Amino acid sequence: MRRYRNFLRLCCFLIITVLITGCMRKEQEELTLVTEAGFAPYEYYSNGEIVGVDIEIAQKIAKNLGKKLVIKDVAFDSIINEVKTKKSDIGAAGISYTEERAREVAFTDNYSVSKQVIIVNKNSYITSKENLVGKVAVQLGTTADSYLTKNTNVTLIREKKFLAAIQDLKDGKVNAVVMDELPAKKLITSDMKILSEPLVTDSYGMVVAKENTELLESCNKVIKQMKESGEIDKILLKHMGQSDEIEEKTSVFDRFYQSVIYDNRYQYILEGLKNTLIIAVGAVILGILLGTLLAFIRHYHDETGYLKVLNAISKAYIHIIRGTPSILQLMIIYYVIFKNVSISIVLVGILAFGINSAAYVAEIIRAGLNSVDKGQVEAGYALSLNYRQVMMKIVFPQAIRNILPALGNEFITLVKETSVGAYIGIVELTKASDIIASRTYDYFFPLILIAVIYFAITFSLSKLISIMEKRLNYVRN
Amino acid sequence: MLEIKNIKKSFSKKRVLKGISLTVEKGDIIGIIGPSGCGKSTLLRAINYLAPPDDGSIVFEGNKIEAKSNLISIRRKIGMVFQQFNLFENMTILENIILSPVETGIMTKNEAIKEAKQFLKKIDLIDKKDFYPSQLSGGQKQRIAIIRSLMMKPELMLFDEPTSALDPEMIGEVTNLMREIANEGMTMIVVSHEMNFIKNFCTKVIFMEGGKILEEGTSNEIFNSPKCEALKNFLSKVENI
Repeated sequence: MRRYRNFLRLCCFLIITVLITGCMRKEQEELTLVTEAGFAPYEYYSNGEIVGVDIEIAQKIAKNLGKKLVIKDVAFDSIINEVKTKKSDIGAAGISYTEERAREVAFTDNYSVSKQVIIVNKNSYITSKENLVGKVAVQLGTTADSYLTKNTNVTLIREKKFLAAIQDLKDGKVNAVVMDELPAKKLITSDMKILSEPLVTDSYGMVVAKENTELLESCNKVIKQMKESGEIDKILLKHMGQSDEIEEKTSVFDRFYQSVIYDNRYQYILEGLKNTLIIAVGAVILGILLGTLLAFIRHYHDETGYLKVLNAISKAYIHIIRGTPSILQLMIIYYVIFKNVSISIVLVGILAFGINSAAYVAEIIRAGLNSVDKGQVEAGYALSLNYRQVMMKIVFPQAIRNILPALGNEFITLVKETSVGAYIGIVELTKASDIIASRTYDYFFPLILIAVIYFAITFSLSKLISIMEKRLNYVRN
Repeated sequence: MLEIKNIKKSFSKKRVLKGISLTVEKGDIIGIIGPSGCGKSTLLRAINYLAPPDDGSIVFEGNKIEAKSNLISIRRKIGMVFQQFNLFENMTILENIILSPVETGIMTKNEAIKEAKQFLKKIDLIDKKDFYPSQLSGGQKQRIAIIRSLMMKPELMLFDEPTSALDPEMIGEVTNLMREIANEGMTMIVVSHEMNFIKNFCTKVIFMEGGKILEEGTSNEIFNSPKCEALKNFLSKVENI
């Protein structure tokens, strides 16, 4: 017995030590860079890793500080917020200086100068920035976006990706695209041209939290040194060569090969599938537990008149959650509630989608409980059963038949809804296909592939539900 | 045995019971008659608090029925049979019958099954024990519902229009079973539109209209020498059918 006790003590000691050192190590030795890895040559995916000019500079900074660089890939619009809330230390994604941004975070000295250029089709009537009219595509949240919004009255088509903007021009949906010169040179096709006079010239800096003056200094030191030695230009050229993959693809097999097999790209899909499933399963479980609780609180109150306060809370919860977009809930949970907490984004996804789903599950279960004939309940009470016995033995077993099909629909919706997780940087299926497309500039196979996967998941789910329904069909009328 | 004093009940703004008092002695078989909507069923459902009265008191064997404290133990002694049978659709006949005695702990499962089988043999439905309610006829269902109540060994049985949902040829099998139970000395309160049954079966009859008891007496007094106009009117209408 004593030996066991000592052994247990030793285990506890070891576990605690590992936990403490684990936490300390994280605080001391990691430098988190937040970016959106779809902006070659500054940051992009290659062979499963995020690489690029910004990454190499950040690596240098981390090395100087004696820290390990951790890279986080989120939506461009989220980067400033990530840094401001200190979820990440440095933001770098070809971010140009604007007063709005500088109000939120601190900018380093610029490390690269970019020109916002105008891309048009070769036979276009647009010949200079003076006659830039009609529809213009940009990437949402970029310098081009804010500049055009403020200084012109062209109709802006704000795309999530540069490539989508170029595609719009190709399809004739817009008259011009405005973007950085460097990617522009790589993205244009043979029947497009870049107007010689840039719309505006801009420079890129990295961003850190305002309080983080020490880090700002270290960044500036590294940037200055790399600029002076000409290292940044070298890196730029290197990445321009490497990330140059926009050759015209000819055969379907070639495109499939490029999208799925080359560079082990299917691994993004597998990773995405894994995260989608983890989040969906976790959220379904949380949704059922929380939803059932809410439903029973409301039902118990309606039946007996007790639990007034809990009932009011449940009601408010259901109304608020159903009345706001799930993407908003996800962002509030991540950027507001867990503002200063280091938490896995997959866990945040499970929480957010679980909390969202619970509201719908609660109403589905409540409707199911109410659909059971009142006479069944009265007979139970008349036989001197209590509320719990009536619910467990009589109402719930009958309600489940009405609940199950609606619950199945809710879970199918939930699986699809997880695609919103990309917003806070979760690499789920949709994000995975996005990563591949950002490398190949070919959306066809990645999108079709994940569509097939989503369908396979939801179809098996509905099959499973209908098998369970058949099992529950005890009464053969 | 049962003392009902001046109970009142409203549903939203409609006053359904306007002060009802009634005394039931052990062995009484009381019939309640009256036009539709007069509050007969509500009175019955007030007794076991399925429709708790807003005012007044119900005392059962010296204990005042109260929703919070003793309701469950008193309901154990008061059985109820419904117009729509209300057999539990998710259970077999046997499961229906043994559920309450087993759940409330008055019998073990084995005891309950043994007793249930005896009852089923008595009403000749033992071969249906593993059927689901939806596979039975109305008459069969109502007889099962009656023995399901009897399993709790009640001292008072409430019948809420037990034959109204039945096809005419099935009414007999249910009323015969009720007679057998009455002969064994069960105290009963029966709400019914079967005037012949009430007339021959009940020791005391109550006539209700508009949420009030207008007349009460022996079966002979009520049916053969009604006093108030409303009762005469009601009886003449019923007899014309």
